[in-house]
Amino acid sequence: MRPATLLRLALAGTRTDAARVTLTTLSAALATLPGLTALTVLAIPTPPATDDNPNRWSEQYTIQLLVEPGLRGGTAFALLLLAIPVLVLAGQSARMGAPGRDRRLAALRLAGATPGQVTRLAMLETGLASLVGTVVGLAGYLVGRKLLHHPDASGRLVLPTDVLPSVPAMAAVVLGLPLVAAAATAVMLRRVTATPLGVVRRARRTGAPRPWPALLIGLGVLAVAMIDPIVRAFRDTRLDWLFADPATRDLVIALVAVLVVFVGLFAGVVGVILGAGWISYFAGQLLHRFARGPAALLAARRLTDDPWASSRTFAALLASLVVGAGAAAFRARFLLDEQLQREQSRRAGYDDYAGPFSSFYLSTMDLVDLTVVTAVAIAAAGLLVTLVEGIVTRRRAYAALVATGVPRTTIATSILWQVLAPAVPAVLVALGVGHGFGRQFVGDHVTGGFQEEVCRASAELCQDPATRDRYTEIVQVERVIHSPDVPLEQLALLGAGAVAAVLITAGLGLLFLRANTAVQELRST
Amino acid sequence: MTHLQARGVVKAYGPTPALRGVTLDVAEGEIVAVSGPSGCGKSTLLHCLAGILRPDVGEVSWRGDRIDTWSESARSRLRRTEFGVLFQFGQLVAELTAAENVALPLLLAGTGRRAARTAAVNWLDRFGVAELADVRPGEMSGGQQQRCATARALVTEPRVLFADEPTGALDTLTGEQVLTQLVRLAREQRTTVVLVTHEPRVAAYADREVVLRDGMVDHTGLGFEASLGGGVR
Repeated sequence: MRPATLLRLALAGTRTDAARVTLTTLSAALATLPGLTALTVLAIPTPPATDDNPNRWSEQYTIQLLVEPGLRGGTAFALLLLAIPVLVLAGQSARMGAPGRDRRLAALRLAGATPGQVTRLAMLETGLASLVGTVVGLAGYLVGRKLLHHPDASGRLVLPTDVLPSVPAMAAVVLGLPLVAAAATAVMLRRVTATPLGVVRRARRTGAPRPWPALLIGLGVLAVAMIDPIVRAFRDTRLDWLFADPATRDLVIALVAVLVVFVGLFAGVVGVILGAGWISYFAGQLLHRFARGPAALLAARRLTDDPWASSRTFAALLASLVVGAGAAAFRARFLLDEQLQREQSRRAGYDDYAGPFSSFYLSTMDLVDLTVVTAVAIAAAGLLVTLVEGIVTRRRAYAALVATGVPRTTIATSILWQVLAPAVPAVLVALGVGHGFGRQFVGDHVTGGFQEEVCRASAELCQDPATRDRYTEIVQVERVIHSPDVPLEQLALLGAGAVAAVLITAGLGLLFLRANTAVQELRST
Repeated sequence: MTHLQARGVVKAYGPTPALRGVTLDVAEGEIVAVSGPSGCGKSTLLHCLAGILRPDVGEVSWRGDRIDTWSESARSRLRRTEFGVLFQFGQLVAELTAAENVALPLLLAGTGRRAARTAAVNWLDRFGVAELADVRPGEMSGGQQQRCATARALVTEPRVLFADEPTGALDTLTGEQVLTQLVRLAREQRTTVVLVTHEPRVAAYADREVVLRDGMVDHTGLGFEASLGGGVR
């Protein structure tokens, strides 16, 4: 097939195909922004150590996360994490209008196209749409960089608008994302065989979900719980024969700890996402058992019929909530530290303590929270895409129901049931798991538990070496474990925000119901 | 007695006219086939008569009341309670079992689940597919699906059944079987049937055949069964 023909066929399609292409372009543009921003953070040059600047800080920025070289890697990583919900949105967009596209591919097969050619067509559609998106994203990044470049009175910047990533790095993002998207399309089409007589989906999952998600969550919790023992075991074991340099040993220990954290976090997040499928199935069964009305019955059957739809729908939202709830646990710990430091300072006679330690981390947590809110918003956009796609796919059945007298409100109620029945428990599980992870990671604030010399005399006597020993005694300082409060308020806010986002999205999605239940839909094939 | 009436019904989809002044009377218990070539406005007429579409000009009356002036929800209620609607394909909800699909109109009317299921299974039995009560549409043949859909259309014992090419997606033999059952049950219940078809073979089951051409009634004749002495005048 000639490239021009391939291109013409790849861009052919219905309004739904156009919507899919537009959403793919938008997702690629959105994913480019955190990618380029992360590269920008990494491109900040670290100045050489001087007497004035022994820590090699980049003092031209106001945000400490950009100033300290050691924090920039983590900041870039956090920015890249923001790309995850966007990529999930891209994946959800790719499913939009899939049945129609599959029929088009089958028609092409009927006209003589080979399986390879139809796969290349689909890859080209996604790849081109993504490329347009990444170029738009790059343009947006460059324009935004100019618009946000506002040094303050001392010449310092809030954002790193004074540096640019290297051209190869930017090219890797702009060209790499479309390549990855095209490859992902090919992988997704592996499960679909477009035959001249139609489309056959292979290996469809059937049956009730098994409780593997709980095991994954357990594995995650176990991994995070094992960090301390693992680090201690490494420290206690004589590994001198392996690591001549103690710094190398510490680096290896740190890397192992980070790896364990990531394995744990990954297992936990995947467990929560797959758990949404499990929750869906059982919510559907419960609903089916106790449902009275047809709306709940419809929803119950849909939930048990394809429980994994909830996993796909809520994946990004739940992942964001796990991170958000974990961040809430970190914030609770930082607040506790700050409170204890304040108390200690007050006891020492400094009433107006404002320590730099906690305030720095607390302001960092503000940024993390902002990232989580952004991720939830992006996830809600993905949810909207999935919801509308579901309505469009079922439009014939819905139109037939409306024609037979089923009120649209019944269908709308069934869709709301279908969304909320798994969403509410899944949100609670995500918050619980996220907070559990965070809580385990930050641990408790322990004070005391050691012996201390106390001089029970006047300052003069205590300072005099001749008399000090006489008045000095060794006392055991009681070991006190201070546990951070469960940040119920923040968790409730996060959960309520997520459920509200789901509700708003569902409401927006239902606006498409009227158009898709028109009697004309009964005549379309 | 005239049950259902269309007076000078005009309906267009944008610039394309579908109906250009159709007048039709349907008596209680009568089986009327609306036939004609593709694009002549058969389905549009059925949708107007069933209150699914509102005509641009003209009147549609049900037992003397003009339903074309009713609100959407009132017409929906009418379809739910007094009418049954049957399409060519795709009307069953894929995720529901056959019994649940058939029970759906009863559940909407407020019948309890147990009673609705009993009635649904009873209707499936009348169509000879009771053994499929717990089977989903995806696991049924086209004929079985159409029998379930017909059972669903009749489960509320409607006064009028509107059927739009009910056997269009079936092979000849299965189509004949479904149609025979439909007509038999309609006659037993004294249900009025408005049947849209482009097949003379199907139209022959009706008491009367109304042939449309270019959005207008071309001519009216007797159905095959009516010509043998059956049917209602």
